Amino acid sequence: MTHPDDNSYPHPPPAPPGWPQPQTDPYGHSPRRAPYGRDPWQESYGHDVPQDNRYGYDASSYDPFGQAPGHEPYGPETQRHGGDLTALRSAYRTLRRVSTLTALGSFVVYVVLSCFAPDLMGSRIAGELSLGMALGVLQLVVTFAAVLWYGRSARRSVDPLAQAVRERAVRRPGREAGVAR
Amino acid sequence: MNDFGTGTQALVLVLFTTLVTLTLLMCVMAGPDRDDLTNFYTGYLSLTPLKNGLAIAGDYISAATVLSTTGIIALAGYDGYVLAVSTALSLVLLMFLLAEPLRNAGSFTMGDVLARNMPGRAVRIASCLVTLSATLPFLVVQLSGAGSLLTFILGIPHEAGARTTCIVLVGSLMIIYAAIGGMRGTALIQMIKIVLLLGTSVTVAALVLNRFDWSPDDVLRAARRGSGAGPAFLQQGLQLGTSAGDRLDFASLQITVILGAACLPHITMRLYSARDVPAVRRSMSWAVGTVTTFCLLVIIMGTGAAALVGSQYITAADPHGRTSVLMLSRALGSGAGSVGTTILYAAMAGTVFITLLSSVAGMTLAAASSLAHDLFAHTVRRGRAAPRTEMTVAAWTSVAVGVVAITLSTLVQNWDVAVLTTLAICIGASAVAPALTYSLFWRGFTRTGLLASLYGGTACALVLMVFSKAVSGTPAAVFPNSDFDWFPMQSTGLVSIPFGYLAGWLGSRLDHRRRAADSRESLRLYEEGEARLLAAAE
Repeated sequence: MTHPDDNSYPHPPPAPPGWPQPQTDPYGHSPRRAPYGRDPWQESYGHDVPQDNRYGYDASSYDPFGQAPGHEPYGPETQRHGGDLTALRSAYRTLRRVSTLTALGSFVVYVVLSCFAPDLMGSRIAGELSLGMALGVLQLVVTFAAVLWYGRSARRSVDPLAQAVRERAVRRPGREAGVAR
Repeated sequence: MNDFGTGTQALVLVLFTTLVTLTLLMCVMAGPDRDDLTNFYTGYLSLTPLKNGLAIAGDYISAATVLSTTGIIALAGYDGYVLAVSTALSLVLLMFLLAEPLRNAGSFTMGDVLARNMPGRAVRIASCLVTLSATLPFLVVQLSGAGSLLTFILGIPHEAGARTTCIVLVGSLMIIYAAIGGMRGTALIQMIKIVLLLGTSVTVAALVLNRFDWSPDDVLRAARRGSGAGPAFLQQGLQLGTSAGDRLDFASLQITVILGAACLPHITMRLYSARDVPAVRRSMSWAVGTVTTFCLLVIIMGTGAAALVGSQYITAADPHGRTSVLMLSRALGSGAGSVGTTILYAAMAGTVFITLLSSVAGMTLAAASSLAHDLFAHTVRRGRAAPRTEMTVAAWTSVAVGVVAITLSTLVQNWDVAVLTTLAICIGASAVAPALTYSLFWRGFTRTGLLASLYGGTACALVLMVFSKAVSGTPAAVFPNSDFDWFPMQSTGLVSIPFGYLAGWLGSRLDHRRRAADSRESLRLYEEGEARLLAAAE
């Protein structure tokens, strides 16, 4: 399973709110390095889409200052809003990536080992219990801990940021249309 | 076949009637107001996380899961254990990856989630069609199974007439639950079901272990002997075979289950009825905890069935072993005719019955909601339907879906349609999963990409399934005497999941090149909705 945003940038910049926006044109040196739809720090994407054949897989298109291009249409308040949102987005992405890949990865390894190393998985470790069975039951037992861990990390990393974004959205009632249902 | 006295049959019948009466009563009392859409589709968001979690778990553990998984463990040992693990982990994956953004993005149906960035009727129609093609097979397989299962439980002669009566009976009840109860009513039934199911399973598992003096070694040794397979029982390969191709097939099936089982619309539908993100997280924690506990119990029960009943008797009653859990509960008592045996068997039969009823009701409701909300309210009436009309339509679409499902199930009741479960999960993994992950996490996703992944994934799964080994060419296939299998696998996931993702990506690429304005619009809507998607900021 590929999650399209999961392989865009391995290390999203922290992007603190209120970071002074560098006005050096982030695209001046390479206008085509605009990986359409992959760059979470990019407000506009229209340029050069048809020619962009690297399409988001180009790690060199990473631009540490790209989170707010020069033609930012919103005021400073929106920028701070965007900063919170960016932080929330990357917090969510990290959490999602770590948890999903761990769960999926461990299971895929388990299935592949079961299928293609049956001797290893069939070896007895205690009495009748084979390694494969033990690993299977272990995954189920570890699930409880994983769910607790997920809940705790989400409460710590995601919820405060989401709260901030919500509060800011409430304070600006006349913000852009379309967010409300 | 059924060597029980009339006492047991009478007790089972009384139990069935009581369960039906009670649940119907609760359904009517919990039913929604006549003109409140939110109430009908989500139950006022009023369920506590624990209750909602139990309802999610109830929807997730269908009768097919309970009966087939126990059967596969009893007959194939290790392969069944892997299936139990993948079933549990699929819900974990749903919780980690999709649950929270899905709750923020959706309001009633999958169509709401997918159409939020790409308004238009084509998207609504596609999501309705995919919902139907994923839920109907599941519905048909369980209803047609209900016929043989009920005749087995009640000890009625195994005739076509009796089975048809049972199918129509279960089908009518399921229509009533879905049409009258709505989300709230079915949630209540799911909660009752999961509590009963856990209670009975804990009892049966404890009795199994008690029979062997709480020594897992003894259970496994007896199971190896009872299965007649010897050491192979505890190694991968009994279910599908041991050649390299068969092993690949098995791996593909398990990956399909973990990606697809929890994405099915009748399960994601329950997420929309959580109040907020912390609530959906807590609901999912309860659901995952319940399902994982149940999967551990299923492992014990399946192994116990192999050890205490023996695979000869299990396959004699049903080649897929779907009656093994009932036979186990019968074997556990202190002897035929004793009070303990009677009560245990009646409890297990009642649990299976209510599991069957509630899972088909949940699926009917999902299909009917999608028809009423996506197809009628947003396609035919273009979003201008009065809530009262939509509710009436939802009730009638429940009836329509139910009648179609009953008809199909009666038609196929003499065939071995277990393959339909695989089909539903394959569609979930290759059409629903790509559409949802792209739509929630990829801002460059466009309308063409969405339609391509929905239709492409479904069509690929459907076509490959028709020409797979599970449908023709092998003795265990639906048509064992025909031979049109050119896809050499039992499940289609290995090809159709990458196909679904690729179709979505290519479709979006096409839109970026050909319809730049449209794709810019999708992007704009995604970015505007992002605060709502991530933080529920309205």
